[in-house]
Parts: sequence; structure tokens; C-alpha cells
Amino acid sequence: MKPNKVNEIMDKVDSFPSIPGAAAKLMALLDNTDSSAEQIEKALKYDAGLTANILKLSNSAYFGMMTKIGSVKQAVVVLGFKKLKELVLISCIGSLLNKQVLGYDLQMGELWRHSIAVSVAAEALVAELKISDSEDILTAALLHDVGKVVMGEFVQKDMEEIWSVVSKGISFEAAEEMVLGMNHAAIGANILKSWLFPKHIVDAVRWHHNPEEAPEHSVIIDVIHVANILSLMIGIGLGSEGLNYQLIPSVTERLGLGTSNLESVASRTLQAVNELSGLLECG
Amino acid sequence: MVGGYNQAQNNGIELMRHVVVVADMIVGAKNDLVVTHALGSCLGLMVYDPVAKIGGLLHAMLPLSKINKQKAKENPFMFVDTGVPVLFKEIYAAGGQKQRLIVKAAGCGNPLGKNEMFKIGQRNYTLLKKLLWKNGILLESEDVGGTDSRTVYFDLSSGIVKISSCGKESFL
Ligand SMILES: [Fe+2]
Ligand SMILES: [Fe+2]
Repeated sequence: MKPNKVNEIMDKVDSFPSIPGAAAKLMALLDNTDSSAEQIEKALKYDAGLTANILKLSNSAYFGMMTKIGSVKQAVVVLGFKKLKELVLISCIGSLLNKQVLGYDLQMGELWRHSIAVSVAAEALVAELKISDSEDILTAALLHDVGKVVMGEFVQKDMEEIWSVVSKGISFEAAEEMVLGMNHAAIGANILKSWLFPKHIVDAVRWHHNPEEAPEHSVIIDVIHVANILSLMIGIGLGSEGLNYQLIPSVTERLGLGTSNLESVASRTLQAVNELSGLLECG
Repeated sequence: MVGGYNQAQNNGIELMRHVVVVADMIVGAKNDLVVTHALGSCLGLMVYDPVAKIGGLLHAMLPLSKINKQKAKENPFMFVDTGVPVLFKEIYAAGGQKQRLIVKAAGCGNPLGKNEMFKIGQRNYTLLKKLLWKNGILLESEDVGGTDSRTVYFDLSSGIVKISSCGKESFL
């Protein structure tokens, strides 16, 4: 057996960019309930791009605020820390995900659109199924495929071997693991670990294709598992690997998901994706 | 017409490229190349009149509009049951004749596994067949099902439909 590529891949993970400075500082501030609106305003003061994106998102139809939000201070008050944290992440993560990805053959912008689609579909599932405990689901959804950015070049190099496994009916991420020693979900989890993200978010990314193998079942993992496959089915971020992913039946049972729930969520996802990705064109 | 355009060559004739996005439709005439990308479980339906040299392509997402009537009103092309009739209506309005039409289908894929709920592609296809049968229209050819991501190139000068799927090309 030829040696796998784990060491080589992990070297790339180590040199993967961290979250932009202003955003990291902001996220830390927003995690601390003792932070003040002034502190948050100060942290944003010198980042006009981030501020503009946050205001654009706050006023988008998708986030549906009743009042027009004109300043960071007002955004803090109207949105609250939790929502604002999500907006900061959406605003700054685009630069990492808005790129062409080899191997999966994703054109410029497609992985970013896919990430937004999975986030939107995940939130729609939460609403549709009236799930109460959904903290951080958007963050995990947005970053679930960040590993593909690193994995792409490795998949590209060993494409033939991966496809010879996939053509036997084995799912794509399992084939990645068999040929390269690691799949894109594990790589993504390693990236988030290096960013010091909380364990439940790291786990959601790690197990988004294999919820049954997670040490513990969680709603976040299950919702992202469904939202991901649904987004691929409707063609958003559908790469050369096609629909060669396995939908795990026990997940839909645990969620209490029905056919009409699924199709209803699909019908509501598309427009929001177009709106949000259009707003943040520049990443 | 919707979508970005650029030019492609066919027998020395400049073709104008039009992209049909998800839940959309385009009807065009000769010198148009109508393209739709990444069909997963969605239906790609191509209708062509070789005499009038007009054709249309629908990229529909879900089978039945009853799931979201509001959306169906805003955009009938999201659903097979509302999109297919509009496509035929526009083809007739552009001068197409029913007995001449060549109808082809692509897409309607499904993820791996036995989960029936996620066979939206299969439901799209079953409904299409039912609609066509009811109206006495036959499918000339199809490339449907499985797990492939399919991109369709529909040349309205010749009616030729090319399918590209993970680097391989074939004709429908
Ligand atoms: Fe994935
Ligand atoms: Fe994904």
C-alpha cells in the first residue's frame, strides 16, 4: 500500500490562514456578555469594509429587521450579540471561501454560494422543524466545507484513484479517506480547531457526512448533514463529485423530517442564497 | 433573455450563449446556445422545433408547486408541474408546432442511499413523464438518474444537445 498523504495535508492545514484580525477580536468581544457597544464600535472603527458588510447584511431582506440600521451601535442594540457574531463571520469568511477549488471543480464563487446555501437551508430547517437548541448552527454550516480549500489540490492529483473507488458505489468522502488517508470534513475540523473554535462546532464540521460516527449525536450535525445534501441536490456547489454522498436515514428519523418539510425548505433556500451572495459579491 | 452571454463557435456561426439558472427557463431561436449548469436532482427539459428552429430549456427544482404556492406564483419555473406547461406555451407562442417537437430530458439525479424522501430527482422525473403522457408527447431521449452532476449545452441552430458530466461529454 502506498503511503497516504496525511502529513502533507496537515502541513497545509498548519499554513492555512487564520480569521482576519479585526474579526477574531470582534468574535471574542461578542462572546463576552460583559462587552459594551462602545468596545465593539471601537474594534470596527478601522475596518470600513467589515462595517459596510455588517450594515448591508443587517438591512437585507433575509435578516428582516423592521428598522433601518445605520450604525454599528444601532446594530449591536437591534441585533444583539449572537446575531451580530454571525454577521461578522459571514462578512469576513468570504475571502477564505470565495475562490476556485480544484479537484471538486468548483468555479470561483461556487464554494462560497454553497456555504451560504447550507447556512440558509440549515436555518430554514430549524424554523420548519421548530428546533429550539440551535446555537451556532449558522457558523458551523458556513464553515462545514472549509476543508475542501486545502483538500482540492490533493483530490486533483489522485482523481483517478478516488474515482475508481467511487465508481464501486462508495461515497466521495469515504473514497477521499481511503486514497488520501483523510477526508475534507476532518481537514475542516482541524482548521477550526486551530482557530480555537468550540468543540460542538468542530464536531459538526467533522461529522457532516457521517453523523452516525460522531461520538455523540447532535442537532447541529444532523441539520447540517441534511442541509448539505439538499443544497447539492439543487445544484448549489455541486462539484464534479456529483451526488456521490450518502444520506443517513437515522438522521431524518431523529429530526422528524418529512418529505414536505424537505421540499418546502428547498423552495425557500434559493432566493435567500441569491440575495446574500449578491450582497457580499466582493467577499 | 436572462443570464450572461458570450460567444461560442459552431460551423463558423457565432452562437450567443445564454445561461439558464436554477428555477428558470429560456426560449430562443437559431444562433442561440442555451446552457444550464450542475443539474443534480433538478430536471433539465429541452424542447426543440427543427422546422421553426426554435427551442427552450427549463431548469426546474421540485416536482409539485403545492409545496409553496406563493413561490410558484412568483416563479413557475421552480416546479415541474407549473414550469413544463409554461415552457410549451412559450414554444407554441414562438411558432413551434406540437407534432414537430423533439423533447429531451436530463438531470433528476439522487444521492446515494435508500432514503425515499431525498429522491426529489426521481419524483421530478415521474411527474414529467405523467405530464407528457397526458398531453400525448413522447420523450425522444434522456440522460436521467444516478449521481452525476450534468451540464447541458443546447444548440438552437441544430437542436443538438450535449451533456457534460465530470469531464466526459455525450450527445442526447
Ligand atoms: Fe462536505
Ligand atoms: Fe458541503
